[in-house]
Amino acid sequence: MLVTETALHLGPELERAVNRVDFFRLFKSLAGSNGFSHFGLTEIAGEEHGLSFQHVHALHNFPGAWFDDPKDPVIGAADPVAQYLQKASAPYLMDFRQTPSKVLLSSGAAAAVIVPLHAATGKRYGLIMVGGDAKEDHQALALIALDAALIFQRYFEVILSLDSISGLSDREIQIVRWTSEGKTSAEIAIILALSEHTVNSYIAAVLRKLHVVNRAQMVASAIRSGLIA
Amino acid sequence: MSTKQDDKQLRVLLIDDDPAEHILLQRKLQKADETSIELDYVADIGSAVDIVKAGGVDMVFLDNRLVPNNDFRETAPLLRQAGFVGPIGIISSDISGKYFEDFRDYGVDFKIGKDEIDASVIAFVVTEYTRDQLSETCSEDYL
Repeated sequence: MLVTETALHLGPELERAVNRVDFFRLFKSLAGSNGFSHFGLTEIAGEEHGLSFQHVHALHNFPGAWFDDPKDPVIGAADPVAQYLQKASAPYLMDFRQTPSKVLLSSGAAAAVIVPLHAATGKRYGLIMVGGDAKEDHQALALIALDAALIFQRYFEVILSLDSISGLSDREIQIVRWTSEGKTSAEIAIILALSEHTVNSYIAAVLRKLHVVNRAQMVASAIRSGLIA
Repeated sequence: MSTKQDDKQLRVLLIDDDPAEHILLQRKLQKADETSIELDYVADIGSAVDIVKAGGVDMVFLDNRLVPNNDFRETAPLLRQAGFVGPIGIISSDISGKYFEDFRDYGVDFKIGKDEIDASVIAFVVTEYTRDQLSETCSEDYL
Protein backbone atom coordinates (compact mmCIF):
# COMPACT_ATOMS: atom_id res chain seq x y z
CA MET A 1 0.00 0.00 0.00
CA LEU A 2 1.36 3.41 -0.86
CA VAL A 3 1.49 5.91 1.96
CA THR A 4 1.70 9.02 -0.11
CA GLU A 5 3.10 11.64 2.24
CA THR A 6 5.96 9.48 3.39
CA ALA A 7 6.39 7.59 0.14
CA LEU A 8 6.90 10.66 -1.97
CA HIS A 9 9.27 12.48 0.31
CA LEU A 10 11.30 10.04 2.33
CA GLY A 11 9.45 6.77 2.49
CA PRO A 12 10.38 3.34 1.24
CA GLU A 13 8.17 3.13 -1.85
CA LEU A 14 10.25 5.66 -3.72
CA GLU A 15 13.51 3.96 -2.80
CA ARG A 16 12.10 0.55 -3.62
CA ALA A 17 10.82 1.45 -7.07
CA VAL A 18 12.64 -0.79 -9.52
CA ASN A 19 10.50 -1.11 -12.64
CA ARG A 20 7.98 0.77 -14.75
CA VAL A 21 5.00 -0.65 -12.87
CA ASP A 22 6.41 0.81 -9.64
CA PHE A 23 6.81 4.23 -11.27
CA PHE A 24 3.34 4.01 -12.79
CA ARG A 25 2.05 3.39 -9.25
CA LEU A 26 4.04 6.32 -7.82
CA PHE A 27 2.90 8.85 -10.43
CA LYS A 28 -0.68 7.57 -10.16
CA SER A 29 -0.48 7.96 -6.40
CA LEU A 30 0.86 11.50 -6.79
CA ALA A 31 -2.02 12.36 -9.11
CA GLY A 32 -4.60 10.68 -6.88
CA SER A 33 -3.35 12.30 -3.70
CA ASN A 34 -3.79 15.69 -5.34
CA GLY A 35 -7.28 14.92 -6.56
CA PHE A 36 -6.51 14.02 -10.18
CA SER A 37 -7.78 10.85 -11.80
CA HIS A 38 -5.36 10.79 -14.73
CA PHE A 39 -1.71 11.48 -15.40
CA GLY A 40 0.68 11.26 -18.31
CA LEU A 41 4.46 11.46 -18.43
CA THR A 42 6.37 11.54 -21.68
CA GLU A 43 9.43 12.94 -23.38
CA ILE A 44 9.17 16.33 -25.06
CA ALA A 45 10.50 15.87 -28.57
CA GLY A 46 11.15 18.63 -31.12
CA GLU A 47 8.79 21.55 -31.68
CA GLU A 48 7.20 19.94 -34.70
CA HIS A 49 6.33 16.82 -32.70
CA GLY A 50 3.47 16.44 -30.32
CA LEU A 51 3.52 14.51 -27.06
CA SER A 52 3.45 10.80 -27.79
CA PHE A 53 2.32 8.53 -24.99
CA GLN A 54 3.39 5.55 -27.05
CA HIS A 55 7.00 6.56 -26.36
CA VAL A 56 9.07 3.77 -24.83
CA HIS A 57 9.56 5.70 -21.58
CA ALA A 58 6.07 7.16 -21.35
CA LEU A 59 3.79 6.34 -18.45
CA HIS A 60 0.12 7.27 -18.42
CA ASN A 61 -3.39 6.19 -17.57
CA PHE A 62 -5.20 8.33 -20.15
CA PRO A 63 -8.13 6.37 -21.64
CA GLY A 64 -7.65 5.48 -25.29
CA ALA A 65 -11.05 7.01 -26.06
CA TRP A 66 -9.59 10.52 -25.54
CA PHE A 67 -7.44 10.16 -28.63
CA ASP A 68 -8.22 10.05 -32.36
CA ASP A 69 -6.30 6.78 -32.53
CA PRO A 70 -6.56 4.93 -29.20
CA LYS A 71 -3.56 2.78 -30.13
CA ASP A 72 -1.40 5.82 -30.84
CA PRO A 73 -2.14 8.29 -28.03
CA VAL A 74 -0.71 11.63 -29.07
CA ILE A 75 -1.33 15.22 -28.00
CA GLY A 76 -0.67 17.19 -31.16
CA ALA A 77 2.06 19.82 -31.48
CA ALA A 78 -0.58 22.54 -31.88
CA ASP A 79 -2.29 21.65 -28.61
CA PRO A 80 -1.68 24.29 -25.91
CA VAL A 81 -0.42 21.65 -23.48
CA ALA A 82 2.27 20.54 -25.94
CA GLN A 83 3.10 24.15 -26.78
CA TYR A 84 3.48 25.07 -23.12
CA LEU A 85 5.81 22.16 -22.45
CA GLN A 86 7.92 23.10 -25.48
CA LYS A 87 8.82 26.47 -24.06
CA ALA A 88 8.28 26.36 -20.31
CA SER A 89 10.36 25.26 -17.35
CA ALA A 90 7.93 26.05 -14.52
CA PRO A 91 4.87 24.13 -13.32
CA TYR A 92 1.62 25.59 -14.49
CA LEU A 93 -2.10 25.31 -13.93
CA MET A 94 -3.69 25.46 -17.39
CA ASP A 95 -7.30 26.65 -17.45
CA PHE A 96 -9.02 24.97 -20.38
CA ARG A 97 -11.72 27.63 -20.44
CA GLN A 98 -9.08 30.06 -21.65
CA THR A 99 -6.80 27.66 -23.53
CA PRO A 100 -8.80 24.60 -24.54
CA SER A 101 -6.89 21.37 -25.09
CA LYS A 102 -8.73 19.18 -27.57
CA VAL A 103 -7.51 15.93 -26.06
CA LEU A 104 -7.62 16.75 -22.37
CA LEU A 105 -11.05 18.37 -22.54
CA SER A 106 -12.24 14.79 -23.00
CA SER A 107 -11.53 14.31 -19.31
CA GLY A 108 -14.35 16.69 -18.53
CA ALA A 109 -11.97 18.72 -16.36
CA ALA A 110 -11.66 22.47 -16.58
CA ALA A 111 -7.93 22.55 -15.93
CA ALA A 112 -4.74 20.51 -15.78
CA VAL A 113 -1.49 20.74 -13.88
CA ILE A 114 1.53 20.63 -16.17
CA VAL A 115 5.01 20.01 -14.77
CA PRO A 116 8.10 20.26 -17.00
CA LEU A 117 10.85 17.86 -15.90
CA HIS A 118 14.50 17.74 -16.86
CA ALA A 119 16.73 14.68 -17.05
CA ALA A 120 20.44 14.95 -16.30
CA THR A 121 21.16 13.99 -19.91
CA GLY A 122 19.43 17.15 -21.11
CA LYS A 123 16.29 15.42 -22.32
CA ARG A 124 13.07 17.07 -21.30
CA TYR A 125 9.91 15.41 -20.07
CA GLY A 126 6.48 16.63 -19.15
CA LEU A 127 4.03 15.43 -16.50
CA ILE A 128 0.36 16.24 -17.03
CA MET A 129 -2.25 15.66 -14.36
CA VAL A 130 -5.90 16.08 -15.20
CA GLY A 131 -9.37 14.96 -14.19
CA GLY A 132 -9.66 16.75 -10.88
CA ASP A 133 -10.87 19.98 -9.46
CA ALA A 134 -7.65 21.93 -9.96
CA LYS A 135 -7.54 25.33 -8.30
CA GLU A 136 -5.15 28.23 -8.50
CA ASP A 137 -2.91 27.51 -5.50
CA HIS A 138 0.77 28.31 -5.87
CA GLN A 139 1.84 26.44 -2.76
CA ALA A 140 0.01 23.26 -3.79
CA LEU A 141 1.46 23.57 -7.28
CA ALA A 142 4.98 23.90 -5.87
CA LEU A 143 4.51 20.78 -3.71
CA ILE A 144 3.21 18.80 -6.68
CA ALA A 145 6.22 19.90 -8.70
CA LEU A 146 8.57 18.90 -5.87
CA ASP A 147 7.05 15.44 -5.54
CA ALA A 148 7.01 15.01 -9.32
CA ALA A 149 10.69 15.96 -9.49
CA LEU A 150 11.58 13.47 -6.73
CA ILE A 151 9.79 10.61 -8.48
CA PHE A 152 11.19 11.62 -11.86
CA GLN A 153 14.72 11.76 -10.43
CA ARG A 154 14.36 8.19 -9.24
CA TYR A 155 12.79 7.18 -12.58
CA PHE A 156 15.83 8.65 -14.28
CA GLU A 157 18.24 6.80 -12.00
CA VAL A 158 16.51 3.44 -12.35
CA ILE A 159 15.17 3.43 -15.91
CA LEU A 160 16.21 6.38 -18.08
CA SER A 161 19.91 6.59 -17.19
CA LEU A 162 20.55 3.14 -18.65
CA ASP A 163 21.27 4.95 -21.93
CA SER A 164 24.40 6.47 -20.43
CA ILE A 165 25.67 3.77 -18.06
CA SER A 166 28.34 1.42 -19.34
CA GLY A 167 28.68 -1.22 -16.63
CA LEU A 168 26.55 -4.36 -16.57
CA SER A 169 25.00 -5.87 -13.46
CA ASP A 170 25.68 -9.47 -12.46
CA ARG A 171 22.26 -10.51 -13.73
CA GLU A 172 22.82 -8.77 -17.07
CA ILE A 173 26.19 -10.50 -17.48
CA GLN A 174 24.53 -13.86 -16.71
CA ILE A 175 21.98 -13.23 -19.44
CA VAL A 176 24.57 -12.12 -21.99
CA ARG A 177 26.58 -15.23 -21.17
CA TRP A 178 23.60 -17.55 -21.69
CA THR A 179 22.74 -15.69 -24.91
CA SER A 180 26.29 -16.31 -26.12
CA GLU A 181 25.64 -20.03 -25.49
CA GLY A 182 22.77 -19.86 -27.95
CA LYS A 183 19.92 -19.84 -25.47
CA THR A 184 16.65 -18.11 -26.33
CA SER A 185 14.94 -15.70 -23.93
CA ALA A 186 12.42 -18.38 -22.95
CA GLU A 187 15.21 -20.86 -22.24
CA ILE A 188 17.15 -18.32 -20.19
CA ALA A 189 13.95 -17.55 -18.27
CA ILE A 190 13.64 -21.21 -17.29
CA ILE A 191 17.33 -21.49 -16.37
CA LEU A 192 17.29 -18.37 -14.19
CA ALA A 193 13.71 -18.84 -12.86
CA LEU A 194 12.56 -15.53 -14.29
CA SER A 195 9.84 -14.51 -16.71
CA GLU A 196 10.62 -14.16 -20.40
CA HIS A 197 9.54 -10.54 -20.06
CA THR A 198 12.16 -9.92 -17.39
CA VAL A 199 14.86 -11.57 -19.49
CA ASN A 200 13.92 -9.36 -22.43
CA SER A 201 13.97 -6.32 -20.13
CA TYR A 202 17.54 -7.14 -19.17
CA ILE A 203 18.49 -7.68 -22.81
CA ALA A 204 16.90 -4.34 -23.77
CA ALA A 205 18.88 -2.65 -20.97
CA VAL A 206 22.14 -4.26 -22.13
CA LEU A 207 21.51 -3.20 -25.73
CA ARG A 208 21.08 0.38 -24.58
CA LYS A 209 24.16 0.28 -22.37
CA LEU A 210 26.36 -1.22 -25.06
CA HIS A 211 24.84 0.93 -27.83
CA VAL A 212 24.08 -2.08 -30.04
CA VAL A 213 20.89 -3.16 -31.77
CA ASN A 214 20.73 -6.95 -31.77
CA ARG A 215 21.79 -10.01 -29.83
CA ALA A 216 24.72 -10.90 -32.05
CA GLN A 217 26.18 -7.41 -31.64
CA MET A 218 25.48 -7.59 -27.92
CA VAL A 219 27.46 -10.80 -27.51
CA ALA A 220 30.30 -9.56 -29.74
CA SER A 221 30.51 -6.26 -27.87
CA ALA A 222 30.49 -8.01 -24.49
CA ILE A 223 33.32 -10.33 -25.56
CA ARG A 224 35.37 -7.46 -27.03
CA SER A 225 35.04 -5.39 -23.87
CA GLY A 226 35.87 -8.37 -21.63
CA LEU A 227 32.48 -8.49 -19.92
CA ILE A 228 32.24 -12.17 -20.79
CA ALA A 229 34.98 -14.63 -21.72
CA MET B 1 4.43 -1.20 -30.86
CA SER B 2 2.62 -4.45 -31.32
CA THR B 3 0.95 -6.30 -28.51
CA LYS B 4 0.04 -9.88 -28.13
CA GLN B 5 -3.50 -8.99 -27.20
CA ASP B 6 -3.98 -7.88 -30.79
CA ASP B 7 -3.79 -11.52 -31.71
CA LYS B 8 -5.53 -13.49 -28.99
CA GLN B 9 -7.30 -13.38 -25.68
CA LEU B 10 -4.98 -13.07 -22.71
CA ARG B 11 -5.37 -15.82 -20.11
CA VAL B 12 -4.69 -14.53 -16.60
CA LEU B 13 -4.58 -16.89 -13.62
CA LEU B 14 -5.52 -15.44 -10.25
CA ILE B 15 -4.19 -17.40 -7.26
CA ASP B 16 -5.83 -16.23 -4.04
CA ASP B 17 -7.17 -18.16 -1.06
CA ASP B 18 -10.01 -15.66 -0.69
CA PRO B 19 -12.68 -16.34 -3.37
CA ALA B 20 -14.04 -12.83 -2.87
CA GLU B 21 -10.89 -11.46 -4.50
CA HIS B 22 -11.78 -13.39 -7.64
CA ILE B 23 -15.16 -11.67 -7.82
CA LEU B 24 -13.60 -8.27 -7.13
CA LEU B 25 -10.98 -8.70 -9.84
CA GLN B 26 -13.61 -9.89 -12.31
CA ARG B 27 -15.58 -6.71 -11.66
CA LYS B 28 -12.50 -4.56 -12.09
CA LEU B 29 -11.72 -6.24 -15.39
CA GLN B 30 -15.25 -5.58 -16.57
CA LYS B 31 -14.83 -1.95 -15.55
CA ALA B 32 -11.53 -1.79 -17.41
CA ASP B 33 -13.41 -2.99 -20.50
CA GLU B 34 -10.80 -5.73 -20.74
CA THR B 35 -12.73 -8.15 -22.89
CA SER B 36 -9.39 -9.43 -24.11
CA ILE B 37 -8.74 -11.07 -20.72
CA GLU B 38 -9.93 -14.52 -19.70
CA LEU B 39 -9.61 -14.80 -15.92
CA ASP B 40 -9.01 -18.19 -14.35
CA TYR B 41 -9.00 -18.71 -10.60
CA VAL B 42 -7.50 -21.20 -8.14
CA ALA B 43 -7.17 -20.96 -4.37
CA ASP B 44 -3.89 -22.76 -3.76
CA ILE B 45 -0.43 -22.98 -5.24
CA GLY B 46 -0.62 -26.73 -5.93
CA SER B 47 -3.57 -26.29 -8.27
CA ALA B 48 -1.82 -23.31 -9.87
CA VAL B 49 1.28 -25.37 -10.58
CA ASP B 50 -0.89 -27.99 -12.29
CA ILE B 51 -2.54 -25.34 -14.44
CA VAL B 52 0.67 -23.62 -15.55
CA LYS B 53 2.22 -27.01 -16.32
CA ALA B 54 -0.72 -27.72 -18.60
CA GLY B 55 0.18 -24.51 -20.47
CA GLY B 56 -1.81 -21.64 -21.92
CA VAL B 57 -1.49 -19.21 -19.00
CA ASP B 58 -0.15 -15.81 -20.11
CA MET B 59 0.07 -13.99 -16.78
CA VAL B 60 -0.32 -14.77 -13.08
CA PHE B 61 -1.67 -12.57 -10.31
CA LEU B 62 -0.42 -14.20 -7.12
CA ASP B 63 -1.70 -13.33 -3.67
CA ASN B 64 1.24 -12.70 -1.36
CA ARG B 65 0.13 -14.97 1.45
CA LEU B 66 -1.59 -18.22 0.59
CA VAL B 67 -2.51 -20.40 3.54
CA PRO B 68 -0.69 -22.67 4.46
CA ASN B 69 2.30 -21.20 2.62
CA ASN B 70 4.26 -18.21 3.86
CA ASP B 71 4.67 -15.46 1.29
CA PHE B 72 5.56 -15.06 -2.39
CA ARG B 73 9.16 -16.05 -1.72
CA GLU B 74 7.87 -19.56 -1.17
CA THR B 75 5.17 -19.73 -3.84
CA ALA B 76 6.48 -17.79 -6.87
CA PRO B 77 9.55 -20.04 -7.31
CA LEU B 78 7.22 -23.07 -7.48
CA LEU B 79 5.60 -21.58 -10.58
CA ARG B 80 9.02 -20.96 -12.14
CA GLN B 81 10.14 -24.48 -11.28
CA ALA B 82 7.05 -25.69 -13.13
CA GLY B 83 8.43 -23.98 -16.24
CA PHE B 84 6.18 -20.92 -16.25
CA VAL B 85 7.96 -18.05 -18.04
CA GLY B 86 5.10 -15.55 -18.20
CA PRO B 87 4.85 -12.49 -15.94
CA ILE B 88 4.00 -12.99 -12.27
CA GLY B 89 2.53 -10.07 -10.36
CA ILE B 90 2.19 -10.18 -6.58
CA ILE B 91 -0.98 -8.66 -5.23
CA SER B 92 -1.30 -7.96 -1.55
CA SER B 93 -3.19 -5.78 0.86
CA ASP B 94 0.19 -4.66 2.21
CA ILE B 95 3.31 -4.45 0.06
CA SER B 96 5.26 -2.29 2.47
CA GLY B 97 7.29 -5.18 3.91
CA LYS B 98 11.03 -4.86 3.44
CA TYR B 99 11.19 -8.30 1.83
CA PHE B 100 9.29 -6.93 -1.18
CA GLU B 101 12.49 -5.09 -2.15
CA ASP B 102 13.95 -8.28 -3.60
CA PHE B 103 10.85 -9.49 -5.42
CA ARG B 104 12.70 -9.91 -8.69
CA ASP B 105 15.10 -12.41 -7.14
CA TYR B 106 12.14 -14.74 -6.68
CA GLY B 107 11.05 -14.62 -10.31
CA VAL B 108 8.39 -11.98 -9.72
CA ASP B 109 7.84 -9.24 -12.30
CA PHE B 110 5.80 -6.65 -10.42
CA LYS B 111 3.91 -5.97 -7.20
CA ILE B 112 0.68 -4.10 -6.63
CA GLY B 113 -1.33 -3.28 -3.52
CA LYS B 114 -4.88 -4.64 -3.69
CA ASP B 115 -6.22 -1.20 -2.93
CA GLU B 116 -4.28 0.21 -5.89
CA ILE B 117 -5.83 -2.12 -8.47
CA ASP B 118 -8.30 -0.35 -10.70
CA ALA B 119 -9.17 -0.26 -14.37
CA SER B 120 -6.20 1.92 -15.34
CA VAL B 121 -3.66 -0.20 -13.44
CA ILE B 122 -4.93 -3.38 -15.07
CA ALA B 123 -4.82 -1.74 -18.50
CA PHE B 124 -1.25 -0.54 -17.88
CA VAL B 125 0.00 -3.92 -16.65
CA VAL B 126 -1.56 -5.77 -19.57
CA THR B 127 -0.06 -3.33 -22.08
CA GLU B 128 3.32 -3.34 -20.36
CA TYR B 129 3.66 -7.10 -20.17
CA THR B 130 2.27 -8.00 -23.57
CA ARG B 131 4.20 -5.57 -25.71
CA ASP B 132 7.34 -6.47 -27.59
CA GLN B 133 10.23 -4.95 -25.69
CA LEU B 134 12.84 -5.78 -28.26
CA SER B 135 12.83 -4.41 -31.78
CA GLU B 136 12.60 -6.67 -34.82
CA THR B 137 16.36 -6.35 -35.27
CA CYS B 138 16.75 -8.10 -31.94
CA SER B 139 14.78 -11.21 -32.76
CA GLU B 140 16.55 -14.45 -32.04
CA ASP B 141 18.12 -14.10 -35.46
CA TYR B 142 21.50 -15.64 -34.90
CA LEU B 143 20.23 -19.01 -33.72
